[in-house]
Amino acid sequence: MLVNVPGPWSPLLGRLALSEIPYTNPILAPLFIVIVLAGIALIAGVTYYGKWGYLWKEWFTTVDHKKLGIMYIILGLIMLFRGFIDGLMMRTQQALGDGPGDNGMKLMGAIHGYLAPFHFGQIYSAHGLIMILLAATPLLVGLMNIIVPLQIGARDMAYPYLNALGLWITTAAVFLIMISLFVGDFSHNGWFGYAPIFEMAYSPGVGVDYWIWTLELVALGTTLGSINFLATVVKMRAPGMTWGRLPVFTWTAVSANIIALTSFPCLQVALALVGADRYLGTHFFTAGFGGNLMLYTNLFWLWGHPEVYFVILPAFGMLSEVIPAFSEKPIFGYITMVLASFAIAGVSWIVWLHHFFTMGMGPYVSTEFSIATMLVGIPTGVKVFNWAFTLYRGRLTFSAAMLWSIGALFLLLIGGLTGMMLAIPAINYMVHNSVFVVAHFHMMLLCIVYAVFSAIIFWFPKIYGFKLNEVWGKIMFWLFSAGTFLVFFPMFMLGFMGETRRLDWPFNPQWGAWFDVQEIGIFVYVLSVLAFLWMLYVSIRDRHANRVHTADAWGTSRSLEWLTDTPVPFYNFAMVPHINALDEVAWRREHGFMDKKPDHFKAIHMPNNTPIALYIGALTFLVGFGLTWRVWWLTLASLILAVILMIYRSNKGDPGYIIPAEKMEEMDRESKARMLSDDSHQVPHGGGFSGGTVTAYAALDRDASGPLTPPSDSRHL
Amino acid sequence: MLFRKFTRRGKYALAPALTLPLAGCAKGSPWWIFDPKGVGAHASFIYMMIDVGVMLAIVGVTALLIVWFMWKYRKGSNRGAYDGKWAHSNTLEVAFWGIPIIAVGFLAWAVSVNGSFAVNPYNPTAVTKHLKPNGDPIDIDVIATDWQWLFIYPQYHHIAIANKLVIPAHTPVFFRLTSTAVTTDFFVPQLIGMIDVMPGMRTKDALMSDHLGSYQGIAADYCGAGMSWMLFKTHVVSKADFDRWTQMMENNPDTMSYQQFNRFAEPYINVHEKTPAWGRVEPGLFDHVMLEVMNGKKWPLPMFMTENMFHYLKIQAAEHRA
Ligand code: HEM
Ligand SMILES: [Cu+2]
Repeated sequence: MLVNVPGPWSPLLGRLALSEIPYTNPILAPLFIVIVLAGIALIAGVTYYGKWGYLWKEWFTTVDHKKLGIMYIILGLIMLFRGFIDGLMMRTQQALGDGPGDNGMKLMGAIHGYLAPFHFGQIYSAHGLIMILLAATPLLVGLMNIIVPLQIGARDMAYPYLNALGLWITTAAVFLIMISLFVGDFSHNGWFGYAPIFEMAYSPGVGVDYWIWTLELVALGTTLGSINFLATVVKMRAPGMTWGRLPVFTWTAVSANIIALTSFPCLQVALALVGADRYLGTHFFTAGFGGNLMLYTNLFWLWGHPEVYFVILPAFGMLSEVIPAFSEKPIFGYITMVLASFAIAGVSWIVWLHHFFTMGMGPYVSTEFSIATMLVGIPTGVKVFNWAFTLYRGRLTFSAAMLWSIGALFLLLIGGLTGMMLAIPAINYMVHNSVFVVAHFHMMLLCIVYAVFSAIIFWFPKIYGFKLNEVWGKIMFWLFSAGTFLVFFPMFMLGFMGETRRLDWPFNPQWGAWFDVQEIGIFVYVLSVLAFLWMLYVSIRDRHANRVHTADAWGTSRSLEWLTDTPVPFYNFAMVPHINALDEVAWRREHGFMDKKPDHFKAIHMPNNTPIALYIGALTFLVGFGLTWRVWWLTLASLILAVILMIYRSNKGDPGYIIPAEKMEEMDRESKARMLSDDSHQVPHGGGFSGGTVTAYAALDRDASGPLTPPSDSRHL
Repeated sequence: MLFRKFTRRGKYALAPALTLPLAGCAKGSPWWIFDPKGVGAHASFIYMMIDVGVMLAIVGVTALLIVWFMWKYRKGSNRGAYDGKWAHSNTLEVAFWGIPIIAVGFLAWAVSVNGSFAVNPYNPTAVTKHLKPNGDPIDIDVIATDWQWLFIYPQYHHIAIANKLVIPAHTPVFFRLTSTAVTTDFFVPQLIGMIDVMPGMRTKDALMSDHLGSYQGIAADYCGAGMSWMLFKTHVVSKADFDRWTQMMENNPDTMSYQQFNRFAEPYINVHEKTPAWGRVEPGLFDHVMLEVMNGKKWPLPMFMTENMFHYLKIQAAEHRA
């Protein structure tokens, strides 16, 4: 039943062989050595400082939504860097390889430039997959993870263990795609794959298999996460946090995760069918034997388009938090803002066909999807107008976070304009599959990246207790923006010059000048990466000077996350606050309630750490690796073990633990003292008065429950 | 290295900026999308200008508003009055929904609906409206292989040419397209928009050009390692020249049966820009190929042309130099 593969196969090692390791490749071999050395240094360092226990207890086994969020963000930033290096290599290949006939440089066996076609193909395929699913998505999921529970006044996510599981499965996907650098090859059929070129006959190597299982793993991780977010927002809101008081960022998280929950399964099914074709010899997407290759494209984009809104909506939410804070005004048109988010989410379901107008489905179908696509422009337009009028009559401070947000607005305008062009079949035929499309979605995805940097700078002090260096944040912003302009303005121009995408050899010498400008741009980006690292270094070095002594780090913040201590203690709120208004913190600030102390404390209930999520994550990596190389025993063994672990954990459950009221009071006092002191050496491990209960809530439940029974407002696991 | 290349290209560096405003009248403009030479491409260009015009009006004004607000309401500048409570206005919010709705409504009718019919690949009214006045259209069958194009002229004794397309000016040309192995896109930026070419399936498109010249054709969708080299020049020639050319082609003694096509369709990267021609291919070759593919015929790629293809590339490069 299983498909025969070309080349050797053995039961023990599957398709693995020494020759699959590209130790002669002049780029990969040194890179491998560097990574191994860095890994050894890291391990040695951690051992020398005796930090293994700390890492294990505080990070690897944690279920704390803030720590998981931080790990998501670190993962996302690392992958953003990897994807950026891919981008640098692609730009260099096109700059060197451009030219007629036999011109240009020839290195490393390539006919043009320094990358042979299959190598170039792997790089752009990995780049696209990484940037959308392993950089943007973890960054956004990480920020949602940290902020959403804080914004609704919850102690953690609804399912803390599931949250950890999502992170570790995503990490497994990252490991899988990273290992494809050094063991075998990655797919070269683009991040979305094409039927039938990904069939065994046309892609006999393991590349497509790496691609399938990496995608399946992130899809799994993200779906788990989306269930969690929805349950959290629906069930865990603090008293008084009615739907009409939900911060816009949380609203966008809800709309985004509805999209994710409903669309990711589509991708998983599509890929499972590709897998069936490649492993079992079925004919879902083959050209012959009744297969339908157009079906794949439909299924993929049925997920693919909602996915792009899954990533942009939280970014819109971030802009909606940062812009009001630095305009010292509430967001303009809160209700339309929320409605627009859901309009975008809803319409995103009925537009997928605009990704392949060129398949030739006839004018009636095309027109329908074209108009549906343009409908998305309406709520998007409303959002931009609302942000613009949030600035109106405001008092604007152009801090680094604000600059990134406003930069995102401009990118959104350009991306929207070009999106509206692509939405029209008559225009789309001329620029589809050209670098014009590439430039369009980079405007949109960079809008997300801008929003993410803005959000990181904005919320950093809440989590770490000190601000990032403003000057270097701004320098980075300007360098990054210069890079964006230099790389993507030429890309739009090249689109109008007819350059199609994914050319290993850009054959037209007239494109050359623009490639050179792009190459300069990419090096400006390199400078901005250095500025980012320097910003981190300077900020950590000067952390005492930049320490935040108030709950509200910026003095003008608005939503609930700014109510609790800085840095946020592990239980988030010593006493779950009662919500009185939209923009609770702004309301309390105006009414002088910011410094109100809780009049009593209650015992709280927290979840226990668990290593099981980490184990299952590691096992899913082995499943993916085993499947890719067709090592059946490894696949089966890991799969069975993972299932056993899941069942074990489900049966055992987690009773959690109780922190008694007296202890809470003590931790709260400590945390407050720490917030006011200049000493940020300690890892924040507790405390924090939350502003407490201002209104009726305090009267609701005066008799604090005994130390051993969970309080009534805690979560039951 | 880069710098040397840069000076070599110095003359191009300014050219694009200068030719942008002249697009449409300059000959041999590098701005292929702005310099359409086929009626379909031209229609697309007009629709693009309408769309961009409408959208730019909205986007441009919004951008200016944002910049103006940034200037006026900067903290400490004291240019604008601060109102920390103002966050709602019925009039404005109706306008915010109304403006995009009107714009989208207009674009939906003016560009989306009309455009979809004008350049509908199966029956582009932009081309078919020339059918009567300009007389007999010609048919061309297009077969994409890994990684070459085969163009067959069924009305002209089934002459065929690979990697080069010759068409008469002022004449509607109707294409039927299929592929042997994988999917790609047929695209001549200045003449005709993209249309998918899929194995085991037939798509259609049509073009007409009133401008003699030679235009670059591209395989626009990723279809494997040879994609960058899967190019074809499209020559739009006068009717007289076209007749001479078909005459000459018909005299070509080379023929191609399905078996020979089978060999032709084997994976080949056309780095040498070869354009072989045949005086006659098996009639019905197009349908034959489609049928075979539907019945499971494949032209598999060997490992050495997908993953570790350095060796293959070396051979090809050597062949090229020879
Ligand atoms: C006003 C809103 C938007 C419109 C009208 C729009 C329209 C389109 C259209 C029609 C295409 C297909 C182009 C083609 O392949 O021919 C496209 C591609 C794409 N768009 Fe958008 N878009 C919009 C917003 C966004 C947003 C918010 C994102 C995400 C961040 C996004 C990301 C993408 C991506 C990733 C692709 C191409 C994927 C690929 O081919 O690799 N777009 N867009
Ligand atoms: Cu889309």
